[in-house]
Amino acid sequence: MGCCYSSENETQEQRNERKPLIPHPDPVSKPPNGTDWITTVPSARTDEQALLTSILTKTAQNIIDVSAADSVMMEQHEYMDKARQYSTKLAVLSNSLPQRKALALPSLTSQPHQVLASDLVPYSDVQQISKIAAYAYSAISQIKVDAKEELVVQFAIP
Amino acid sequence: MTASLTAGLDRIQDQIGYLVISEEGVLASAGELENDEVTAGVMMQMVRTASRFRLSGAAEPPFKRMSVILEDFVYTVTVSGQKVFVVKRQNNQQEPISV
Amino acid sequence: MESTLEQHLDDTMKNPAVVGVLCTDHQGHNLGCRGSLSDEHGGVVSVLAKQAAALSKDPTDSPTVCLESESGNILVRSHGTITIAVHKIAS
Repeated sequence: MGCCYSSENETQEQRNERKPLIPHPDPVSKPPNGTDWITTVPSARTDEQALLTSILTKTAQNIIDVSAADSVMMEQHEYMDKARQYSTKLAVLSNSLPQRKALALPSLTSQPHQVLASDLVPYSDVQQISKIAAYAYSAISQIKVDAKEELVVQFAIP
Repeated sequence: MTASLTAGLDRIQDQIGYLVISEEGVLASAGELENDEVTAGVMMQMVRTASRFRLSGAAEPPFKRMSVILEDFVYTVTVSGQKVFVVKRQNNQQEPISV
Repeated sequence: MESTLEQHLDDTMKNPAVVGVLCTDHQGHNLGCRGSLSDEHGGVVSVLAKQAAALSKDPTDSPTVCLESESGNILVRSHGTITIAVHKIAS
């Protein structure tokens, strides 16, 4: 159904928000808990297995393995390196942000004062929509399920 | 700078307050909307929501002004040059809405 | 089952200035629509009505939101649990 805030590209945006800014330098060295076996699944798997694997992979991506994070020790110079990497990356990314802001606020007019000073919406229109809304509400209140068939059907077992 | 933004707003007939808002916050305010951060926040949200509205096939939002009409007053809102202009005007077309 | 609302929407469309009408519940689910307003508008319409409600200090004074242009207006108003949008062209 066409709800706002439920469109495809929004989920894409949300996915991007959670993506690490700087990819893990050596992702193979630290697989998330319990997903090591994925690579050992034989290539001739059934569709069902492929589906299960993709579900498992997706779940693994969403897990933040706190126990593994504990064991990662970082030297001070590594912290400095990372900090530098992040600020460089952020500087590059922020260059593309002003354009996005421009999209968020469209220009509706070049003469705001004139537009704001023009006549208000006719009172008859406001009255009309009020009536339409009130009638619609009363029409909705009259909706009830008109069941014509049994909702639960017994299957005859021979 | 602020004076040129608001000079025209002061002259609008029936106005009882106004706000000029940018992404960064309230740039100017007067009358009943003086320093009204709450209304400014709601208006910013509404402008963002309304700008998602498209009639089929159109690339631009299908409006120049958004009005929020209440019994005693009307908020008229528009966007120009990355700034949201809100003017609160008296609603003189009074008659109770009969439903 | 929904004939009363469907009938009401049809009647609304008979008004010569009206080119679209939409009825949603408070979550943006489309309960019925005609003409220029369709499924995809339900979310924006219900969110707009909800946000506008924050501007009224009196709960009985329900706001009407109007998106205005020279070619026509889209009016949005809630009543109880539903929100109605009507697209009227300038006469």
